[in-house]
Amino acid sequence: MPNTSILFALDALTGALFLLTAIGVVATRQVLASLQLFILQSLLLTLSAVLLGIAQGSIHLFAVAAITIATKTLLIPWLLRHTVSAEVYRTREIERVLNIPSSLLIAAILIVLAYVVADPLLTVVGLPFDQVNLPLGIAAMFLGAFTIAVRREAVPQLLGLLAVENGVFFAGVAIVPNLPVIAELAAAVDVPVVALVVGMLTRRIHARLGTTAVGRLASLREQ
Amino acid sequence: MELAALLLVPLLASGFSLLPAGRRFAAPVTLLGSVIVLALAVAVAAEAARSGRVAASGEWLTCDGLGALILLLVAFVGFTAALFSWGYVAESVKHGRQKSVRLYYALYNLFVLSMLAVPLLANVALMWIAVELTTLVSAFLVGFEDTPEALEAAWKYVVLTTLGAVLALLGFLILYWGSRIAGLTPFTWSGLVEAAPNMPPALLWPAFLFILVGFGTKVGLVPMHTWLPDAHSQAPASICALLSGVETTTVLYVILRLFPVVGVAQGLDARPWFVGFGLLSVGIATLLFIHVRDFKRMFAFSTVEHMGIILVAAGLGGADAHLGAAYQMVGHAIAKSFCFFAAGVTVLSVGTQDIASVRGLARSSPLAATALIAGGFAIAGAPPFAVFVSEFVIFKAGLASGQYLIVALLACLVVVAFCAVMFHINRMVFGDAQHEAPAMAVPRSCKVTLALAAIPLVIIGIYVPAPLYDLLKAAASAMGG
Amino acid sequence: MIALIVYNIIQVAVVVAFAPLVEGVTSRLKEILQSKRGPSIFQPYRDIWKLLHKDEIVSEQSSWIFRATPYIVFAAPIFVALLIPVLTRYPLFFAFMADMLGVGFVFALAGFFACLAAADTANPYGPMGASRTRMVGFLAEPVFIMVFLTISFVAGSTIPYIVQTRWVTPIANFFEPSHILLLMAFLMLILAEDGRIPVDSPSGQFELAMIDRSKSLEYSGRGAALMKWAGAMKFFVLIIVFLNVLVTPWGLADSMDLGSVLLAIPLVLLKVFCFLLLLVYIESSLAKLRLFRITEFIGAAFVISVVAVITRLSEM
Repeated sequence: MPNTSILFALDALTGALFLLTAIGVVATRQVLASLQLFILQSLLLTLSAVLLGIAQGSIHLFAVAAITIATKTLLIPWLLRHTVSAEVYRTREIERVLNIPSSLLIAAILIVLAYVVADPLLTVVGLPFDQVNLPLGIAAMFLGAFTIAVRREAVPQLLGLLAVENGVFFAGVAIVPNLPVIAELAAAVDVPVVALVVGMLTRRIHARLGTTAVGRLASLREQ
Repeated sequence: MELAALLLVPLLASGFSLLPAGRRFAAPVTLLGSVIVLALAVAVAAEAARSGRVAASGEWLTCDGLGALILLLVAFVGFTAALFSWGYVAESVKHGRQKSVRLYYALYNLFVLSMLAVPLLANVALMWIAVELTTLVSAFLVGFEDTPEALEAAWKYVVLTTLGAVLALLGFLILYWGSRIAGLTPFTWSGLVEAAPNMPPALLWPAFLFILVGFGTKVGLVPMHTWLPDAHSQAPASICALLSGVETTTVLYVILRLFPVVGVAQGLDARPWFVGFGLLSVGIATLLFIHVRDFKRMFAFSTVEHMGIILVAAGLGGADAHLGAAYQMVGHAIAKSFCFFAAGVTVLSVGTQDIASVRGLARSSPLAATALIAGGFAIAGAPPFAVFVSEFVIFKAGLASGQYLIVALLACLVVVAFCAVMFHINRMVFGDAQHEAPAMAVPRSCKVTLALAAIPLVIIGIYVPAPLYDLLKAAASAMGG
Repeated sequence: MIALIVYNIIQVAVVVAFAPLVEGVTSRLKEILQSKRGPSIFQPYRDIWKLLHKDEIVSEQSSWIFRATPYIVFAAPIFVALLIPVLTRYPLFFAFMADMLGVGFVFALAGFFACLAAADTANPYGPMGASRTRMVGFLAEPVFIMVFLTISFVAGSTIPYIVQTRWVTPIANFFEPSHILLLMAFLMLILAEDGRIPVDSPSGQFELAMIDRSKSLEYSGRGAALMKWAGAMKFFVLIIVFLNVLVTPWGLADSMDLGSVLLAIPLVLLKVFCFLLLLVYIESSLAKLRLFRITEFIGAAFVISVVAVITRLSEM
């Protein structure tokens, strides 16, 4: 079926760009740029959900797409703008633990690792889309977690967290096209709540400590 | 019906606490709500112990032996911590910040609600959301004291545990995938157990690991434990009691639920993973015990240790070990919440959490000293407290099934941990008093809480009532033993 | 046979003749985008013409390398133009001589001589530019290798004529992630290799900040003309490789008759023009990177090419 093969290729392309945005969130210096990359990543997630929805005729995936658009590209940026002070966005150079070339190298290693992790899962007979979405989703997950590890600023850490969530959903749309709608809705509520809670916390840290470089906070540790 | 009411009552209490006039009656309303919840939980647990299963509101809410046990523990600690909060919160926010008291009680009730929801919700996806909510709702409670340290702890707590929860989500999605392949069974724990033999092992295995690592973060398993001592030492004492006493157990409950699912799959064995993570947690926590400087932190490490012990017990396998694990959960919840109440009272009395700067507590604050010693003995596992009995049961079960090495290692570590805890508490309690006068008066509600919480602490190690024993049996069998 | 040789020569002639035009169009477009009028698109021809009629001054201290380099640098793109598909879909007479790795080697040789010549003059800016070019080159080379490896991995060959048809048969291949990612990585390499923004500013006049251009500062007269022309041709050839080999073979001549080959010339130029629009947009929206940030830029290209390999692996 040529139709499916085009959809598959488009989905693979979406996946590749999705992964690139995940790398971008690791590597960009500016807070605003990483927010924009996150929005782009969410759009790509939506696109993948739509493509898979067309391919499988699943109404659930369109629901996922709609929820993703509403929460991740509209609600979360809005929430962040309103909870986190504008000062945070003006930070041009994000403090980071590792320099960019080394983090890119580690990112490449993590991507390979994601394939190793996903490999046994891919032996299970599934849709061809699994071959793309599952490893790339897991890779984006790892990269998001890595972002949290290398960033010191609060907002980029939050974006890393949300990127992990995006990665899970990217894998999820391929493997579970028919999760009950109630679970989808609940997950849709969950993501903005995470953003809200972390955003408020950032605001309080900023108000109390005058900084949002949470990676610098190290008064609590084993002596 | 009781099950729905269990969720409804804290929700109502939370709403009432938010009312503008809430500062006056938020605490009593919360307390009232928690008493009702406790009564309902006892009823549900008694029912579960008798008949095995209670279902309400269609198939959305269910509760079996293990769930009822968790429910009972959450309700009990929720009640004592609410009582403790009454005086403690009023004392610690005496100056200004009236609004935050209302927020505290509103979130407190939601926190309890989310923990109650975890064992109650039948759908596993919804249960995941309940677990996630426990973090999100409690984030502000952890940072309630608004010190730089508390905010740092809250940040680590939210970011790391949410990260873990998202990892676990992937695990659950894979499980769902598997259950879809195995045929259309409902996405509930019993449905999963039913479907597991037909699932491809290639799916079960990664799902199990993702959930173990993801929720293991929230339980505080080493090496994902780094946030736990921070959060559990910086939150207000009442919240620490909930976090340490039952939140960890509630999430551990989810991991234990996986055991029957993975256990029946062909060619898979979850036990080494449980034992491995468990022993590692106990070992590292014991090492960290030795030179800990903050006594609330010490109790936090003890939580890591206890979670490890329960996991090892689950990994040892067999009905006896699982009974020990269930018993240990009870002992842990009661003793650990008591310890944090004692720590809270101590902090009120001496105004510091630093072990080195507390001396001669026995003279300056006999109540705090007595509570600390009792709590210390209870969590370290001295007879006649429950933890001693449960550890004994676990060792015995392990020896009976011939796993000598694991039992020997565990026993050594437990003994070292015991010595370390007693050493630190000794230094604080005895010696010459350095503090002339108490920093703050201990509120009456805190004293009452200590007295109330001490009752099960003392009794449960000596005498287990028959219904509770039945419940433990039911819980053990739900763990697959 | 004869036809193949003739077409091959036409191909080289197109490269030689239109390269300055491409450069002129690029700078004009850039000026327009910046709301300026800009020079005529034929300005590079006039510059080259003027330089060719001027006297050449060569330092007495310099060796034969300095004098030979313009010819070597000028010959390299012409040689490459023999190998690659500029106008046709089928291999021409000299195409058998080398594959894409060969193309890389020829350019590397020219670059090597340019660097030697820059050092030869003892002008302080020359060696500085040479060492910076080498730095960029050292960083870019592993990425080039990675890209070619991926291409050969995906297309099963490094022969440009085989590679180019791989992307469009079937058409779904065009949207393969590995293909799109390769395009991105290679585009970044073109920017780095040809000294364009964000790596280097081709129109900058500030010697201290120059990377690529400072190597030819010491040339005058005919030498300068050849170097300028060679630079334009190299740019043109890189674009052609990118567009015809890596993107698609659309617009190229399929049949052997002269008419279709001649028709391919405007079509290819149109393709190049569209690409220039994109390039000018990229160049105008970015700022030049600090020297030590170039590693990050090329590191990003490297990661993209690695991702291309990996996504390719997942589809197999």
